[in-house]
Amino acid sequence: MKPKTQRLFLLVLAIVAVLGAVLLAMSALKDQAAYFYAPADVAREGAPQGRNVRIGGMVRQGSIRRNADGVTIDFVVRDDSPHVINVRYRGIVPDLFREESGVVAEGRFQESGLFVADEILAKHDENYMPPQLDVKKGEHKSESLK
Amino acid sequence: MQTLANPARFLKIARPLTPVLGWGGALLIVGALAVGLFVAPRDYLQGESVRIIYVHVPAAWLGMGGWTGLAIASFMQLVWRHPLAAIAARAIAVPGAVFAALCLVTGSLWGKPTWGTYWQWDARLTSMLILLFLYIAYIALDDAERERGGEGRIAAIFGLVGAINIPIIHYSVEYWNTLHQGQSISFLRASSTVDASMLWPLLVSAAGFSLLFGAIVLMRMRAALARQKVEARLRRYS
Amino acid sequence: MSHWTFILASYALTALGTVGLTWWSWASMRSAERQVEDLRNDR
Repeated sequence: MKPKTQRLFLLVLAIVAVLGAVLLAMSALKDQAAYFYAPADVAREGAPQGRNVRIGGMVRQGSIRRNADGVTIDFVVRDDSPHVINVRYRGIVPDLFREESGVVAEGRFQESGLFVADEILAKHDENYMPPQLDVKKGEHKSESLK
Repeated sequence: MQTLANPARFLKIARPLTPVLGWGGALLIVGALAVGLFVAPRDYLQGESVRIIYVHVPAAWLGMGGWTGLAIASFMQLVWRHPLAAIAARAIAVPGAVFAALCLVTGSLWGKPTWGTYWQWDARLTSMLILLFLYIAYIALDDAERERGGEGRIAAIFGLVGAINIPIIHYSVEYWNTLHQGQSISFLRASSTVDASMLWPLLVSAAGFSLLFGAIVLMRMRAALARQKVEARLRRYS
Repeated sequence: MSHWTFILASYALTALGTVGLTWWSWASMRSAERQVEDLRNDR
């Protein structure tokens, strides 16, 4: 084998080996590196008790309720599964915190299953469009790049 | 490919190409950013802050594309001992690092008004920060190796191994739950969830920054070749 | 804070970064290539 071919062969082998190692590491990290738990994850694995965690999903349509004190809100986080998480938060929410929009909350689960958040972040989706197109959200999704 | 291996022939092409890429890129960037700032619509959810997309996304693409190019050049250097490949890999490192840093900073400035935070350790943000650290490590490693008179082979191996972070950044938003939203534009599937009125200034801006990136790489390669020539001549006459 | 503060800050930093990088790359290329020319003329 010519030295050039040998080097090529060795290098390709090394790349494949590193790639394999990283894929293995990534699959092992799948759960640890999750930034938040979705309602389906909580339903499957149980609500983590006694420590701060993040949960995330969509704010269910019509679920935001402002309590009598004016600063505490309750809302329901859903995902594509039938499961939901009830959340209570006291404080100011980001501008993008809306119903049927993404949310990530950091806080603790109570024994009752209620999630008490001390921080709320808004998570938006991958759609970008002018306001007047909002109503046609569904049709817009698969626009071709051309 | 082989015709470009010769530095003299490379310079013959690079000299006229540098101003074309540089000025062409500058023109496209200025046009696209003016449209992005004043003409493009605001977003239905994010409002005005969506305009940061026209600098953030090109910076992200170039930060990642830079390392891809660096890895390809490193591969060519290791296999074919191609002298220009080593120079190209080194020339990409600094602009790649600058664009990765710009991606992080503009992303942070975009995160505050939309998500409500400058920084969170989610998979996308963390892997992009790692890319910046990889660039810095590559530059330091390459400098140290060259100071000792090496050919930059250790840096090339590092450049190749570091490329594994690129698919991790790309798939981070699909593989893990992240605060960062999913992918909007896929060139492979030729699809986008960005409205046309925002998509075209974004693509023009990305094209402009890419041309400018090319010009910067060419300038840095020409500088490296000239320095080599000076060193070789000084050695001969001393 | 208004969104425009964040927009202008990110555009300004991008401009600063790219213009600075281009200028530095160009200047060091010019000085290196000029050195080659000087050596050629000195012979």
